[in-house]
Amino acid sequence: MNRRSAARALLYPTAALVGLFSVGPFLWMVLTAIKPQHEISTKEPVFWPSEVVLERFASLFGGDFSRYLFNSFLVAAATVVIGVTIAALAGYALARFDLPMKRYLLLVMLSVQMFPLVVLIIPMFMVMRSLDLLDTYFALIISYLAFTTPLATWILRGFFISIPRELEEAAMVDGATRMGAIVRVIMPLAGPGIAATSILVFISAWNEFIFALTFINDETLRTLPVALNSLLGRATADWGTIMAGSVLFTLPIVIFFLLVHRRMTEGMISGAVKG
Amino acid sequence: MTTRLPQETHRRDAMRAAVRLAPLRRRIGRRRFDDKILPWLLLGPALVVTLGLILFPVIRTGWLSFTDAGLSSLVTGEFEFVGLQNYSGVLSDGHLRGVFVTTVVFGLACVAGTMVVGLGVALLLDQTFRGRRLLGILVLLPWAVPQVAAGVTWRWMFNDQYGVVNWLLVKGGLTGFEGFSWFNDRITAFVAIGIVVVWQSFPFVAISLLAGFRTIEEDLIDAARVDGAGWFQRLRYITLPMLKPLVLVLIIISTIWDFKIFDQIYVMTKGGPARSTEVLSIAVWREAFTKLDFGPASALAILMFFVLAAVTLIYVRLFREEVS
Repeated sequence: MNRRSAARALLYPTAALVGLFSVGPFLWMVLTAIKPQHEISTKEPVFWPSEVVLERFASLFGGDFSRYLFNSFLVAAATVVIGVTIAALAGYALARFDLPMKRYLLLVMLSVQMFPLVVLIIPMFMVMRSLDLLDTYFALIISYLAFTTPLATWILRGFFISIPRELEEAAMVDGATRMGAIVRVIMPLAGPGIAATSILVFISAWNEFIFALTFINDETLRTLPVALNSLLGRATADWGTIMAGSVLFTLPIVIFFLLVHRRMTEGMISGAVKG
Repeated sequence: MTTRLPQETHRRDAMRAAVRLAPLRRRIGRRRFDDKILPWLLLGPALVVTLGLILFPVIRTGWLSFTDAGLSSLVTGEFEFVGLQNYSGVLSDGHLRGVFVTTVVFGLACVAGTMVVGLGVALLLDQTFRGRRLLGILVLLPWAVPQVAAGVTWRWMFNDQYGVVNWLLVKGGLTGFEGFSWFNDRITAFVAIGIVVVWQSFPFVAISLLAGFRTIEEDLIDAARVDGAGWFQRLRYITLPMLKPLVLVLIIISTIWDFKIFDQIYVMTKGGPARSTEVLSIAVWREAFTKLDFGPASALAILMFFVLAAVTLIYVRLFREEVS
């Protein structure tokens, strides 16, 4: 039993180490963002700031950052509304009807997860350019639909399959049309699934970097990740401001994420296994 | 009115039947709509997205890879078929050939790191101790942080003069790290990027494996324990073999992620110093959007796709053989 108790003694230090590794960088980001300027670039890191400085957030909001925040939010929200609507309808159809080529369609949708985005980006860029869509929100919303809709469809299909067929059949016996049954019976039941999927789509649109970097040149249309990256490009990096920007960019996602992580894990695993 | 003409009765019955049948017939018409047309209406928009935004670009990239599309074709919209020229150009370029090796080595190293850390954390979370629930939530955090934010934050932590990583290493006795520049050297730059990648992807692996542990029947583990199997033996001979399908899926998902890494590298090194930390996705992007050589860039993108597909296939093969 000696070895056993030795192992148990190691348990708590290991757990502390894992916890620190997981949370440390995030804490360091927040800490740097709220430190007084002279406590940021020090030989000995300052772990307990002498005062909390929130001016960086104020000046970010006062400057262009509120615009970037708005851009990111608008693009992500539009992607959610359009993408999840499309995905909910298709997910229902794929859950309930026997359609020719259904297998292949599902396979293509799943394999999108495998495509490197750079495989899609070149022709998209050329088409966007010829349609004069570069430097518009549309360029981002349209390209974000490409990688969010398939996964959302796949996940929502799973939710619809879990809702018993009898429910909408009962509604149809009572005189509802199929569409009526979908809107009044099925969609409300799938509500939690749709909410979780929406958050997932929002997160991936909010975080997206390559398309935003490539399709947007106009500084006023930039989204947060691109703006953050351009802060790094300055000759002397102002780490306090950069970390404050990172906090603004990260915090909404962390909150959303903690709400849906369970469904996200399930969705990814089941999707991968069934494929 | 005791007798009724048979004909009249007949007609009345027919009329009654017709009245009764009308809604039925309407319902049959509706049924046909519901079963034959509605599914396609529901599926339509998703089909447009799949065909227009996925299949079209992929096929188009394939086609572009055989052409000389470049800056001038953006203006004129014209380009010419050049056969395999782009492919031979890409494959004869020493730097780009190196990028293939870099991508595979870096990708596999990240997958290995992710699986090891993920398994370790899963085993830790499988023990009973106080604060386990809290730790289970805390380890999810790195997964939630956007990749660009993670890259930026770790770049600050790996800062040569004021970075907290160097400070920790020096405190731990490794005085060589005093003012050490991680991003001036290819290997250490990749180590730094790899740490960020593992930091972001181990939570998914850990949580999935933990869920997998829970599916194994306690009896089996207990039986092994009674037979004298130690903790490591139980892990090696029971838990992991039983979770082989899950482990395979996790390795494949990790591979797909780690071969596509773009954001973290772009933010942390931009592929530098001197293009030495370029992986395929960065190289494709640079060929396409800083050099505007769409033809060669497309060829590189297609090759990248095949590398990813090949690695995935090899995994599936290996595992299948081992199972049988």
